[in-house]
Amino acid sequence: MLKTAFLASVLAFTAVATFAQETKSSIKPLTFTEYVLPNGLHVILHENHAAPVVSTYVLYHVGSKNERSDRTGFAHFFEHLMFEGSANIPRQKIDKYISGAGGNLNASTSFDVTDYFFNLPANQLQLALWIESERMLHNRIDETGVETQRQVVKEERRMRYDNQPYGSLFEQLCKMVFAGTTYEWTPIGSTQYIDQAKIEEFREFWKTYYMPNNATLVIAGSFKPEEAKKLVESYFGEIKKGTPPPRPVVKLTPPEKPVLVEVKEEKTPLPASLHAWVACPETHPDAVALDLLADILASGRSSRLYRRMVDKEQAAIAAQAFPVLFEKAGLVGVFATGNRGVTLEKLDALIDEEVEKVKAEGVTAEEFTKALNGKEDELARDNSQMSARARNLARARLTWGDTAEVNRDLARYLAVKREDLQRVAKKYLVKEQTYRLHYPVPEAPKQPEGAAK
Amino acid sequence: MNTFSRILLTSAVALLPLTSPAIDRTQPPKPGPAPTAAFPDFKVRTLENGLRVVVIPDDRSPTITLRLVIKAGATMDGGSGLSGFTAGMLNRGTKTLDAAAFASAIDSIGASLEGGASSDSMSVSTSGLTKFTDRLLELFADALVNPVFPAEELVKEQRRALSGIAAAKKQPASLASNLMGKVIFGEHPYGSFRTEESVKGITRDAIVEFHKTWMVPNNSSLVIVGDVEPDAIVAKVEKAFADWKKKDFPMIKQMAPPASLSGVTVHLVDRPESVQSNIIVCHTAPGRNFPDLPELNVVNSTLGGGFSGRLFQNLREKHGYTYGSSCAFNYYKQGGYFQATAEARNDVTVPAIKEILNEVGRIRTEAIPDDELELQRQYNVGNYLLSLESASRIAGRVQDIELYSLPSDFYKTYATRMSAVTPESAQKLAQKYLSTENVAIVVVGKAEAIKAELEKIGKVVSYDLDLKPVK
Repeated sequence: MLKTAFLASVLAFTAVATFAQETKSSIKPLTFTEYVLPNGLHVILHENHAAPVVSTYVLYHVGSKNERSDRTGFAHFFEHLMFEGSANIPRQKIDKYISGAGGNLNASTSFDVTDYFFNLPANQLQLALWIESERMLHNRIDETGVETQRQVVKEERRMRYDNQPYGSLFEQLCKMVFAGTTYEWTPIGSTQYIDQAKIEEFREFWKTYYMPNNATLVIAGSFKPEEAKKLVESYFGEIKKGTPPPRPVVKLTPPEKPVLVEVKEEKTPLPASLHAWVACPETHPDAVALDLLADILASGRSSRLYRRMVDKEQAAIAAQAFPVLFEKAGLVGVFATGNRGVTLEKLDALIDEEVEKVKAEGVTAEEFTKALNGKEDELARDNSQMSARARNLARARLTWGDTAEVNRDLARYLAVKREDLQRVAKKYLVKEQTYRLHYPVPEAPKQPEGAAK
Repeated sequence: MNTFSRILLTSAVALLPLTSPAIDRTQPPKPGPAPTAAFPDFKVRTLENGLRVVVIPDDRSPTITLRLVIKAGATMDGGSGLSGFTAGMLNRGTKTLDAAAFASAIDSIGASLEGGASSDSMSVSTSGLTKFTDRLLELFADALVNPVFPAEELVKEQRRALSGIAAAKKQPASLASNLMGKVIFGEHPYGSFRTEESVKGITRDAIVEFHKTWMVPNNSSLVIVGDVEPDAIVAKVEKAFADWKKKDFPMIKQMAPPASLSGVTVHLVDRPESVQSNIIVCHTAPGRNFPDLPELNVVNSTLGGGFSGRLFQNLREKHGYTYGSSCAFNYYKQGGYFQATAEARNDVTVPAIKEILNEVGRIRTEAIPDDELELQRQYNVGNYLLSLESASRIAGRVQDIELYSLPSDFYKTYATRMSAVTPESAQKLAQKYLSTENVAIVVVGKAEAIKAELEKIGKVVSYDLDLKPVK
């Protein structure tokens, strides 16, 4: 279905007007037009001539949560295969076309989505559409590419996780909190499964998830919308619609009693403790309150955990509080890295005290204002470049099912009441339902330094 | 609304069919003429106290960022780390606000204010919403002009720094980059990094003195980016900094440049738990202000910039040795270095190093083919154009012109110069600035698995986790 420019601009205008009424912010709303091709591809256009650049962003609604438990790492591996080429693009030419056009590119895979972006000088929009449509229409999946990328992905895993202090943290956290769901593993997955997979499985994966009806295309920057629409139609119009992909069901329950997992690793330099609780999905009304609560706990030098753990008690070098909210489940965590010689028991006691305190007393009016100001500052900076605008538009449309939500981020925070923070603290940070991860420092080696040759 | 708009749309589509241009899928489309990269004109205003101020208006978001660069860094503290402590502790208390009160004041308006130091400078950055500009300027000036560096805050900072050093000793990338600095720059302050001794040696008196000596307006430049009107914001800055007075400061010391490396030496840190080796092949390079920088960028990116560079194509896409491999020239005021990096599993550590050396050798001995060079010229020029979308990148470049005494039109001619590189000029530059014969190869990895093979490349010097040589 194709919306006309007229109707779409009316919709965009409505979005602007609504936003201005709902908030007192001076953040400038993004204008956009959007429509859906007959094959289901959702297209969003953001025209802006501030700089002679254009960004394209393709978001596929597939991530590691769509994987089988004996094929983890598949979605991310497939992201690598999307740079191999297509029926009309020779192997390893995609990056050369984009570099040679003066642009840059990348992609990422998360639990829920996989995204691909190109940033180019404004005269190169057609190149971007050609490449994205080529790999959506007939991506190249052959043995040579698969074999090379198997090695590359193993090195990526070693570099990012296996060779890093605390590199296993997020994996351990998800394994613990999301046990029994497909959020239980992280996007990097286990490399053994990529080795086991047959090439037909990769082709099958592409057919299931890399369909236009499972994708959103955003063009942001300096271009003429009427020309862009015609090009989009030419390049993407012929791609066949696929069957709607399966959507996993995620059902998550908090533990019946506290859980502690100890991760002993030779490479751990400082003691670290993470406390986590089951929280809500990202679109749940409690999500924004949890985010503000986390900021009050640990964002900035005047936050509670910084002041208590880092400053006053000097027990930690850093403390963080963070919600990790996905499409269908979420968690909230508090993480502290201890100073040398501080015990894990000390870190735990301090975290417990501060968490219990905020549950018992709530937050002050001053803290609440501070958190909202901080959020406004963060959101105001979020939309300055075309690549970020393209990403935010696509994410808003996928997350909320309504692209106009891109302009309501701050409004959602401003709708929170101070009491909500205490309410969500009590609701989610339940003491008996705490998950804990400990990273102890290994015993000092018996030999003095210099002895190892 | 959805149902309604769908009905409306269906009829609209029927009435207004779009005609789509015919396309040829088998070929990359031909682009129209490329836009040109134009570095914006900027005006430097010098305040009465000697502070140089540049404003880059950017109305895309209701925010303001101020970045002050003070021309005194590691070169002025002899590598002791004093500059880092001085800049880093500006936000830990002033004559009227103690550390906690200052943190509350900044956080309450949702802003940030942090200082830091690097090889040639200290910098202090603050950013916030424009509706809080006056308060932000007040706090910014207070931190710069009236810091007290409380003794008890220094003790806390030192304790955290010591823990940070313990953490860095377990981080392969930190170990590799610290050792590289030491190998390239030797005793020059550019090669210094935080150690337990250097942190314990910092005193409050020395910080106070360093601040008094170097943090003066006539040794500094300020760039302001944001939704601001230039004249109005400069007037506000002038008022906020009324108490910051011009003052003489010492001549900036010119140190002897680092000695060039000679021969091929492998510098190995044994990290028994490593499952992958962090590799840096490096050698010395000139300081920031030298005549060939834009053209050398094109040579560098051909060798190892981005996904189309030879290192990435060879080590990753051909051999599957590594997730990433790239190279870069890094320039300080008085000297610089070249580095090519990869992270390769233990059993391909040496093959990966050999391929890096092969590629460095090849770009010196063979002219770059025309089509590859054309790609790289476009890559550099186009990505420079893209970078101009970021006001803070522009601001950083404006400050670099001042800090490194570059020609004032440096960024005006930047793109033109990169697009003029020929195969002949590229090869000459490669021969002049790249080497395979006088290089240091820094490796952090599991010695037991890789040392014997490394010895076939060159002499191996081993280091402990404090980066002290061991036998």
